[in-house]
This record gives sequence, structure tokens and C-alpha cells, in this order.
Amino acid sequence: MNTFSDFFFLREPNVVLVVAGSLILCGMAALVGCFTFLRKRALVGDAISHSVLPGVCLAFILTGEKDPLYFLAGAMVTGMLSLLIMEALTKNNTTRPDTAIALLLSVFFGIGIVLLTSIQHSGNASQAGLDKFLFGKAASITSEDIKLFGISSVIIAGSILLLIRGFYMISFDEDYAKAVGFPVRFLRLLLSVLTVWAVSIGIQAVGVVLMAALLITPALAARLWTDSIKVMLLLAVIFGLISGYTGAFVSYAAPAMPTGPWIVVMATAIAVISMLFAPGRGIIARWEVQRNNRNKTLRENILKLFYRIGEKTGEHGASVLEEDLVNYRAFHADELQSGLKQLEKSGLIKRVLSTYSLTKAGVFEAERIVRLHRLWELYLQKYLHLDPDHVHDDAEAIEHVITPEIEAQLSKILGNPKTDPHNTVIPKGHDIK
Amino acid sequence: MIVNVSDPSLETHNLTVIYHRKPVLWNIDFHLPQGKIIGIMGPNGAGKSTLIKAVLGLVKVNSGHSKIFGQDLNDVRKRVSYIPQQQTVDWDFPATVMDVVLMGRYQKLGLFGRVTASDKAIVKEALGQVNMTAYADRQISQLSGGQRQRVFLARALAQQSDLYLLDEPFAGVDAGTEQSIVDVLRVMKSEGKTIIVVHHDLHTAREYFDWLVLLNASLVASGPIEQVFTDELLRATYSGKLTVLSQVGDQLRERNFPVREK
Repeated sequence: MNTFSDFFFLREPNVVLVVAGSLILCGMAALVGCFTFLRKRALVGDAISHSVLPGVCLAFILTGEKDPLYFLAGAMVTGMLSLLIMEALTKNNTTRPDTAIALLLSVFFGIGIVLLTSIQHSGNASQAGLDKFLFGKAASITSEDIKLFGISSVIIAGSILLLIRGFYMISFDEDYAKAVGFPVRFLRLLLSVLTVWAVSIGIQAVGVVLMAALLITPALAARLWTDSIKVMLLLAVIFGLISGYTGAFVSYAAPAMPTGPWIVVMATAIAVISMLFAPGRGIIARWEVQRNNRNKTLRENILKLFYRIGEKTGEHGASVLEEDLVNYRAFHADELQSGLKQLEKSGLIKRVLSTYSLTKAGVFEAERIVRLHRLWELYLQKYLHLDPDHVHDDAEAIEHVITPEIEAQLSKILGNPKTDPHNTVIPKGHDIK
Repeated sequence: MIVNVSDPSLETHNLTVIYHRKPVLWNIDFHLPQGKIIGIMGPNGAGKSTLIKAVLGLVKVNSGHSKIFGQDLNDVRKRVSYIPQQQTVDWDFPATVMDVVLMGRYQKLGLFGRVTASDKAIVKEALGQVNMTAYADRQISQLSGGQRQRVFLARALAQQSDLYLLDEPFAGVDAGTEQSIVDVLRVMKSEGKTIIVVHHDLHTAREYFDWLVLLNASLVASGPIEQVFTDELLRATYSGKLTVLSQVGDQLRERNFPVREK
């Protein structure tokens, strides 16, 4: 616990560096990653991430120093090179994009590993730590790094905020952006440079192997919560920051642990939570909709039953025993109980001991549903030429979704009918005020 | 049958476009009038969409050139709006109907211009014209095919241009929407706008268009609808009479010859 409080309150100067560095790296990756994600270039992001490794190694071989600026420069050169080759290959459909991506990713990464291995066996003592570029090591971030990251993040975030309209347009509809005279080529190139840049610094935190996850996962999670691009960018950055913070903690508390995987695990956890809980698009929200639909269907089916019993006895408000309801229609006992409770709560039925009866509002509602059912049956018979004995099952499902507007339309085209295909009376419609 | 006009809205001169070493458009040379609804028709692969894209500078033109209102595209961009084919964009993009229609104002605003109240008023009016006001705040993924097309039309209307280029606006659209789009186009025409529509339903051509361009890689005809919409010309466009041209094209590609010497 002590470790955590030391970390949380930034008691050690080193912790400040680790936390600040991780936050910047993850936040920037999440920001540019939104556009990578929206332009459906997730795999391109992965290829770029792997392609920066040879650049880092070359920078070390050429300078013999572990200067963050040289690393950044080297990473950007090979990252951009890989991207440009990819565009040249896929231009004019000479090579398919998936082929080009797989090819460049493995070729550049392979060269990177070859260089890395030869550096490690070169006997140069200062090479220790270069292999950390594979999986990231936030704990080794220095104050010099922070300076570089800070400047980079100001430029990256600044450019994106300044040119957000242009990036938004080329992500949605590139041809249209060109047609209205936006500098599409420049915007595309700039976005690529910013992406490679964010990747080139981001590898300090998560390493080249896992960098793509840091680009894409926060964007994916953010997209689930919102339909607005600005909110999406903001959320993605926040998710990136949370992942970075956690990763930094692990890196601090257990220095032997690779940072990158932990950051990715956290980002993934956020994405999973989003998939479950996001309103509208989340799994639970969709369950909720289905549950509501089932309950509505159940309630309406019970009301219909009351109505049909009423039709037989000739009295719609009459009391009915629960057993009689079951005799009419094979409801599951729990289901029936739950449906009756819901109806009682909304004032559509009354309960006296173990008998139930429709209230006035209940009769009204029951008439509406029966009317929809019978109108639909008639419509199927007349316009889809179904036999009267085939229309019932369809109407059972459709009656629950017909809106008042469709009801009015149905009634009109059927000529305000009085009876359905089974010659039973269609209840009159009520004006809804 | 190629009728030329003076003071044209759009003119092309020997326009030639080559895709994958095969000519898609050969020496297209026409002058289109202003203030009319003009149809561009021809069989699949005739180069209809490519023609529009070439005029807008979206595909590389291999030789020849085009002019809009007598000027180069870059000098009159603000007077031209483009409605791409609906399926060219991702409709699951994080945007509302309002966001998309607002893009129509970006031509005037550029990358940095602030959206003003008058821009918003223009956007609202455009939405009203296509009957989509009630959907302004809808996420675009929730729209039907017909509604998507109307959103695209509203975006073009918000540009307040003089020349409109529509690429297959009736594809994937229900009959009701098609009629309402045609109604909007007629209103635009009455305001003096020129509307060029890539279309492929011959049944409605006579009803919709004042002027017709028939295309099958090369220009077959261009003129007032009553002169061009004839059995003979349609036959020339849609029957395989031009296969020699496509055979030559195949030869160029297979044998890797350039289309122009130089």
C-alpha cells in the first residue's frame, strides 16, 4: 500500500517523470488514434508502429548515443518511409492493401530485430535498454525525454485542434473535401506525419509491438459513448490517460514488469466496460431494450386475453380468476404474475383477492391492441393474399409495433372495416388526445 | 448529334481519362447550357461518374480539359457543388444530419472560418427544402437510403452554388424520395441553377431532363432531350456498336502501349 501512496502523491521525483511521460504518450496516441480508427486504418497504424524500430536502432548505430531526439528522428524516418512505400504499392491497385500492410510490417520489424540483435552483440556498453523499445518501459523516462514529449504533444494536439475541420472532412468524405477545395493532399500527409510522430514517442511507453492497441482501443471505446467527434476525441484522450497512469504505476511498483502490456490491458478493460455499459450501443443497453420489448409484449398479450374473455361473457370490466387466464393461454406462471403486477402498477387492471378486472383505462388499451391485431390480419389477407388461417401468427408479433400513424393509415386503406378475416368485430379506434 | 451552345455552364475539350491503362473516357467534347436539368446516361462502365469526377479534378485527366462558366475549376470552385454517390461514405461516422449539411458551408468558410448564425440559417433552410428539418439532430447511421440522399442534397444546397453535379442521386432511393428530389431540382432550376445528373433509368429520362448527354466511353450525343432521346441514338449508346473502341482499349492495356504519344 505504501508503494501506491508514494506513487499517488508523487513523493519521489522520479515518479513525477514516469507519470507525466506516460500520460503525455498515451493521451497523444489516443488523440491521433481517433482519426486512424475513423479512417479505418487500424492495421496501417500497426504497420507504422512496427516500422519505427529499425529507425530507432539506426539512430543509435549512427550516433552511438541514446539521445531521445535522435531516436525520434530515426523512428519518424523509417515510419514515414514504410507509409510512403505502402501508398506507392497500393496506388493503382497494383498490390492489395492487406498484402502491403502485412509485407511492410514484417519486413521493417524484421530489419529492426536484426539491427537490435547486432547492437546487443556489439559489445557497446551503452546499448543496455534499447530492447525496451519492444514492450515499453515508462520507468526509464528521463527529464530530457519529458521535454521532447512535451514539445511533441503541444505540436500534435495543437495541429489537430487547429485543423480539426479538415481532418474531419477527409475522414468522412475525401472526394467532397477535394471538391470544395480543401488541401486534401496536405491534410492527409500532415495527419500521417502526426500519426507517425505520436507512434514514435508512444513506443517509449508501450513499445512497438503493442503500439497499435494504444492508437485504436481508446478510440474504439470512446466511439461507443458518443456520436459527436469532439466528445469522442475528448473521451479517447481521457481513456488514454487512465491507461497511461495505470501503466506508469505498474512500471513503478514492479520495475521488472513490462509497461506496455499493462497499459494495453487497462485500455482493453475500458473498451470492454464501454461495450457492456455504453448507452444505446452497449450490450446491456440492448438487453434492456429487449427486456422492455418482452415486457410490453407480455402486458399487451394479457390485456388481449382479458378482452377476449370479456367478448365471451359480454362484459369487459368483469372480474376474472387467475386460473381462468391460464386456461385461455399457456402463460408461464411467473411470467403471468410479473405481467399482472406491471399492469396493476400502471392502473390498467384492478386486483381484488385472487381476481382481476380491467379498469376503464385497461379496457381502452385492450381495445387498441385487439384492434391493431385484427386490422393487421385484414391487411395481410387483402394485400398480401394470405389465407385467414395464416394471418394470426404474423399479427401476434406485429400488433406490438404499430404506431398510431400506421393505424390510421391501415384503417383508411381498409375502408374503416368492422370485422376481421375471422368475422370477429374490430373494436372502434379512439382518438388520442 | 452534338448540339453546342454559347455561354455554356460546362464545356469539355477532348477530355480523355485512362484507368489502369484503359481509356474510360475518349475525347469527350461538349458544351452544356445553363439553367437546365441535364442528364448524363449510358450503360454500366460508360464513364458517367468518371466524367463528373474528371470535371471536378477528382481523377487524373490524361489529356484535354474542361471549363466551368468559361473558367478553370479553381477559379469557380465556389460556384460548383458535388453530390457523390451515397455509398462512397461511411454512414456510421460520428456525425449528425446537421453536421453533414454544415459541411456545405465549409467551402465558403475554409478550414478556419467561424460558423456564423447566417451559416446556420442557410443550413436550416436547406434542410427544410428537402423536408429533413425534423431529423437535424439524428445520427446519420439511423437514416434510410432516401433520407441519406436528401441529406447529401441539402449539403449541396447549403453551398449555394450555380452548378450542381449529382452522381446517381436516385440509386437506393424509394419512389417517394425520388419524386421529392426531382421537385427540389425543378425549384433549383427555376432559380436559374444548372443541374447535371448521372442517371440510368431510361423510363424517367424524358420526364426529368431538358438536355441529355449520351455516353459510352466516347460521346454519342449531347443536345435537347427531344432531339437526343431517339431510338436510333439510344441504340447507338446501349448496343455493342462501340465494341471496336473497347477492343482497342484492351489492346492498349494488354500490350502496355501509351494512349498518347509523347
